[in-house]
Amino acid sequence: MPELIKVDARGMACPGPISALTRAYRKAKNGDTIEVLATDPGFKPDVQAWVKRTNNELIELTEEGGVIKAVIKVTGKRG
Amino acid sequence: MEKVLILGGGGGGAILANLLPKEEFDVTVVDRDEYHIFQPGNLFIAFYGDSIEKYRRPIRTLLKPHVKLVKDEVTGVDLNERRVELGSGESLEYDYIIIATGANLDYDAIEGNRELLESYGDFYSTLENAEKLYKTLREMREGRFVIAIADPIYKCPPGPHKGAFLSSTLFERMGVDVDVVLALPFPHAYPSKTISDIIEPELEKRNIEVHTFFTVDSIDVEKKRIYSLEGEELEYTVATVIPPHEGPRYKIEPSEVKDDSNYLKIDKYTCLIEGFDDAYSIGDCTNAPTSKSGVTAHLQAEVVAERLQGFDARYSGRTNCPLITDGMGLFIISDYDHPPIPVKLSRFKRLLEDLFVATYWDAIRYPELWQPIFHAYFDATSPAKLGERGW
Repeated sequence: MPELIKVDARGMACPGPISALTRAYRKAKNGDTIEVLATDPGFKPDVQAWVKRTNNELIELTEEGGVIKAVIKVTGKRG
Repeated sequence: MEKVLILGGGGGGAILANLLPKEEFDVTVVDRDEYHIFQPGNLFIAFYGDSIEKYRRPIRTLLKPHVKLVKDEVTGVDLNERRVELGSGESLEYDYIIIATGANLDYDAIEGNRELLESYGDFYSTLENAEKLYKTLREMREGRFVIAIADPIYKCPPGPHKGAFLSSTLFERMGVDVDVVLALPFPHAYPSKTISDIIEPELEKRNIEVHTFFTVDSIDVEKKRIYSLEGEELEYTVATVIPPHEGPRYKIEPSEVKDDSNYLKIDKYTCLIEGFDDAYSIGDCTNAPTSKSGVTAHLQAEVVAERLQGFDARYSGRTNCPLITDGMGLFIISDYDHPPIPVKLSRFKRLLEDLFVATYWDAIRYPELWQPIFHAYFDATSPAKLGERGW
């Protein structure tokens, strides 16, 4: 069953949201969706580079009230 | 007198025990080991050949005389019953508990990691393994020394980078042609792009090979290859892989206080364990969304000490992770409200780090004497103050 994995990385100090995302990704399977919330502005370019490199799909990337929301469809896992 | 039970006599536990006024609190520290380890010492042992003795002290010598110390293993904690079970069969009751037992490194989670550790040593597990790694590196004449990471949440985020810089210097001093390879799960050399931009040229200057988007999946010790979740592989002559970390494995009731990596779920500001007003957790064993480091444990210990005395102290998430090369250093400064600020490598900051190492044992034993100095430092270097100017 495809799962929705929520990662709340708002107000996260170093190492920051990209680490939280990579960590959640480890346990994810193809078909799952990962929703990340972050307040670190560096996350916006990072998540775009990340989906490209890992062959996953960025369905949504929005910013509202200082909170960045990224919704990723997991498609890039091998095996 | 309130009975305070502190599980763990490391950076967080020892400082907290020493900060609580003896007139108000009956403090007991439980630790399964005789020694308190200065973990950054792993670097100096593994890459400078320093002696183990410099970086460990019996916990008893670090605690104020009135603090009780029980050398035993924790086998179970019941937060509702306010009771802790120990390996000896004894059980302890408390008015307040602080869980500070650190992170567990799971060397059996990744295939081949245990063998790697046993063959070469490392600079993350024990002082003895750091000594073993130094011996291993001293015997290298050519080939590749690979430092890789299995999971992006590990203690001391700049640790692997320090390993790369310091091993590079070691090979230079030895006059041998060994390639240093750093493989990281991040999109760039450091999780924070701001810090990445500063250290990438330094890594390049030393010809350190950097592989990004590399999360270790398995290790083939016969073929001497490391495979990543992202589908790549790296060859090595000698390698060390920082294993997945997790929180305490001993039973804690109610089980909901642990997350799915066994980390204690705490309020990131107050350090209270979710759902409790008499149970705290500090240091590497919590799910606090900040770096796992001694600085965190130290600052959290201060917060808990204040709160136990009735003050509404809160942890800001402040980080101060030192990233050192041989002669230079910088600190990664961030908190819950500020991502890392721009910082430059400097000799002065490297000196500050050396100074910190020199005063460590004293600062653990007499935290109240060092507090004004640390406070002045943290205040002057707060990300809110330094902001975009950086340091």
